[in-house]
Amino acid sequence: MDKATLIQQLKDIVKPYAKNEVALDNINEQTDFVNDLKINSANLVDVVLDVEEKFNIIIDNDSMERMLNVKSAVEIIEAKLADNQ
Amino acid sequence: MIGNDIVDLLQASLESRWPRKGYLDKLFSHAEQSQILSAIEPSATLWTLWSCKEAVYKIVHRLSGIRSYAPLSFSCKAGIVTHAGQSYYCRTIRQNDCIHTIAVQNRQLFEQVRMGFNLDTVRPLMQKNAAGIPSLNNKPLSISHHGRYAAWVSL
Repeated sequence: MDKATLIQQLKDIVKPYAKNEVALDNINEQTDFVNDLKINSANLVDVVLDVEEKFNIIIDNDSMERMLNVKSAVEIIEAKLADNQ
Repeated sequence: MIGNDIVDLLQASLESRWPRKGYLDKLFSHAEQSQILSAIEPSATLWTLWSCKEAVYKIVHRLSGIRSYAPLSFSCKAGIVTHAGQSYYCRTIRQNDCIHTIAVQNRQLFEQVRMGFNLDTVRPLMQKNAAGIPSLNNKPLSISHHGRYAAWVSL
């Protein structure tokens, strides 16, 4: 899966929790879930759970610790998908 | 050092599907989950524990400058949160749908806390450093808002 597709899928996942629509429309690797998208910290775990379900991966606590922005999320998803193969 | 966190229970009920599978496991220890699930009002207990973890996270973040999302590394029991071998002290007040927690590094600081519920009184005076951490007259300032409620605390 290429990075653009992955970011598009992440966009669909974070959409229900993002409070800043302009930032959501312009989502890119530098987008921060909390500072830019204004996702409530109690909803970040929903993003993590939705990512787990969508990609059929398990995000361990060490990975979740870094799930604060698109760049980290992409890195984590790519690494877990590679592990699954 | 000081931190705070406010939760609007009505807003939380609209935003959160916490009974979903896996949710509690990623945020709360077994002991915390038992406390939540055996409570008369599970969601109020959940958000009280969460606000304690958040308020203490704000202290830890202010001191370390490092952001992270590791709620399980903050364990909360009877108003004391333990993180990385350190204890922090929390006082939570609930009024109707509003849950507000103040966290401090040592209990004496509770006597010095200045607080208010109108962010407009501090916004013109507060300063933010490069990491976005606010202060008021060179004293730590913590602000929180959620749904219909907001609060600031300082020393």
